[in-house]
Amino acid sequence: MEFKHRQLNNGLTMIGEINPAAQSTALGFFVRTGSRDESSEISGVSHFLEHMLFKGTQTLSALEVNEAFDRLGAKYNAFTSEENTVYYAAVLPEYLDAVTALWAQLMRPSLRKEDFDLEKQVILEEIAMYLDMPEFLVFDRGRELFFKDHPCGHSVLGSIESITDLTVEQMRSYFARRYAPNNITLACCGHFDFDQLSLQVERHCGSWSSSDAARLLPSHQSEPKKVYDQKVGLIRQHLALYSPAVSMQDDRWYASKLLSVILGDSTGSRYFWSLVDPALADTAFLELASMDAAGAFCSYICCDPQNADRVEEILNSLFAEIAKNGVTAEELESARNKVLSSVALKSEQPMGRLVNLGFNWVYRQEYLSTAQDIDHIRAVTVQDIEDILSHFNLSSYTLYSLGPARK
Amino acid sequence: MTKMDFYQLSNGLTLVGERMNHVQSVSFHILTPGGASCLPDDCCGAASILADWLFRGAGNRDSRRLVEALDGLGIHRNTTITANHLTFNAALEAGNLEPALDLYADILLSPRLDAAQFELSRKLAVEELHSLDDDPRSKVMLLLYEQFYPDPFGRPGQGKEPELLAMTADQCARIVGQLFKPSQIIISVAGNYEFETICRRVEQLFSRPGVGQAQTVKPVIQSRPYTHYPNDGAQVHIGLMTAMPPIGAGYYYETMAAVSILSGGMSSRLFTEVREKRGLCYSVGARYHTLRDFAGISCYAGTTPDKAQQTFDVLWEQFQRLQDGITEDELQRAKVGLKSSLIMKSESTSARSAGIAGDYFLLGRVRTLEEIRQGIERLTVDSVLDFLRQHPFETFTAVTIGPKEIRV
Repeated sequence: MEFKHRQLNNGLTMIGEINPAAQSTALGFFVRTGSRDESSEISGVSHFLEHMLFKGTQTLSALEVNEAFDRLGAKYNAFTSEENTVYYAAVLPEYLDAVTALWAQLMRPSLRKEDFDLEKQVILEEIAMYLDMPEFLVFDRGRELFFKDHPCGHSVLGSIESITDLTVEQMRSYFARRYAPNNITLACCGHFDFDQLSLQVERHCGSWSSSDAARLLPSHQSEPKKVYDQKVGLIRQHLALYSPAVSMQDDRWYASKLLSVILGDSTGSRYFWSLVDPALADTAFLELASMDAAGAFCSYICCDPQNADRVEEILNSLFAEIAKNGVTAEELESARNKVLSSVALKSEQPMGRLVNLGFNWVYRQEYLSTAQDIDHIRAVTVQDIEDILSHFNLSSYTLYSLGPARK
Repeated sequence: MTKMDFYQLSNGLTLVGERMNHVQSVSFHILTPGGASCLPDDCCGAASILADWLFRGAGNRDSRRLVEALDGLGIHRNTTITANHLTFNAALEAGNLEPALDLYADILLSPRLDAAQFELSRKLAVEELHSLDDDPRSKVMLLLYEQFYPDPFGRPGQGKEPELLAMTADQCARIVGQLFKPSQIIISVAGNYEFETICRRVEQLFSRPGVGQAQTVKPVIQSRPYTHYPNDGAQVHIGLMTAMPPIGAGYYYETMAAVSILSGGMSSRLFTEVREKRGLCYSVGARYHTLRDFAGISCYAGTTPDKAQQTFDVLWEQFQRLQDGITEDELQRAKVGLKSSLIMKSESTSARSAGIAGDYFLLGRVRTLEEIRQGIERLTVDSVLDFLRQHPFETFTAVTIGPKEIRV
């Protein structure tokens, strides 16, 4: 495994992890932009723009783009979060040149009005689809409640109103600001030649001009709140909990990650033994959602509405207990084994490795090999976790709970 | 060139494997004859209870110590229920394979089956069933399979609420006792392993007599073409399925090409016609779903109520137009897509051990990746069209969940 890195004159960063034993290669353009970089007038534009990149360039129609990817047998897609828009493809090594050229062209899209109007229908369908997915809904609304005025609370999808009102001119101006080369990292891993890739990227992307794509990083003060909402037709109670946690840049990330596994992994965790094992909830987990200079521990629980109060009581006592007595060495060891095996399994496929590689660079401007990642996990001590617990109060959470409408 | 490993115990239990170089992990699947169609009538939900109950203590470990032991080995695990099997899957660091097999042998052969724990497992199974009501997208596909396949092959592994509530611990424990039919158990393994070591261990753990053969079932053909389940959601969730020959009938590659042309990549027909040209859906796709004796292409689309009728009409029209002709370029895209999926799957131990187990059950042998690659390579426009004309899409089964019914 060899790491290489280069920055073009216009600021575009290239990173690569070369593994000659891999049978495929994965490539991704990581654009440092998402819903937190939007004002309320253009809410949802980052995600809508992600769709529009597939609609082609001055010389390529949408259908030609899709055909070109499929001709390469590429496994390709894109995703948008609060703070990143990532375009990726996994291909057999012989198709890497072609897929790189294709993505590089698409990163300068034509954003045609007629494509924009048609794709708006698809975005509205996507919003409707998530309305029928309560787990997604409670996470989205819970995050908004937790972050309040802070930009990390912005919805990735936007609303039916904001999408309906959005104009193609607004999107073009957002694109010009945010898709500057100095705001983009190109990551590649698997079987490939870095120098060859580098020449190609220079050729396709070297002429893009940089701009000021800075991001606001206000601090976040959370004020715990609880909101109980109802929705006609629901059967279950869906709960989302948010409380402060470390950012992506924080050195205590690994200890926080292990704490999240001890407390809220889908099996063998404290959530599992207190909620799922006694059949009070059929799903209960806690995850670490670290972001740029902000972060949250977020939980999701799905239970019978009749058990919702009991579930809240149990969560409160779990948080109080862990704050008072910390975690045991055995719990830490078990969580460590789970995380280590998940790192090992993921790293076996270039596509599984790509996102880790890219985000490490985007957030920390550093390369971490899988071996170094493993060393960090191994180094976490019970005391490190106690430090996290004394710094971040899990009991001080924001709750968004959605259940059936009362008759 | 990969070589398939094969070993059979004298009681009939089969072990199949493929060694993968360059990985540090290993994955195994244990297929047991506890799928929804193998269980007594009114007991198909037992599989859902068992998937939880079996893990609540086994051998000399109680529930907590068993879960701790599994977690301690870093095992990523899940238990799935299909028409034919209750399947246990584990993926882990290669060095822990033997102790992991020990734990699964305990789970399968010496579960505690504590009656108090049974009540919790049953309650969880009911809770999961209720949660499905808040997930119409998943629910519509379960209802579709139930309506499409001849009974009992479409029965949902989750069961039905009245049967879950009526089930007793004794009844379920009897089912567990009937599960160990060695001639019908398949263990597949893929990754970094020593086959001789595994064979020795499996001999030690599973060399015991079983409980006899599978009962034969008489499939009952279903006749409902369309069912609508009203709800107050934002979308109409459409499930559509049409019959195809099962994998063993010899048309696997032609079927996969047809599905790929319909729904492989983003240039495929369904995505292009339904989403790209008309903006009817965000989510639309089709896949080949095969059991041993029955199979079909199933298709999902979710759309807002006013677009539901048009979405359905466009979907079915695209199925029917397939036999009118396909282009050389379409077939080429399908072939390269199928081949690249194949190679990428070969990098994942879990995907490979699932593939091996599925092959052995459905075909009675395991295809090497090279054999599959050649099968894809041999496809021509004529061979795919001949197949489609011999097996036209004439009838379908459809299910919708949502605020508006459609006309079919």
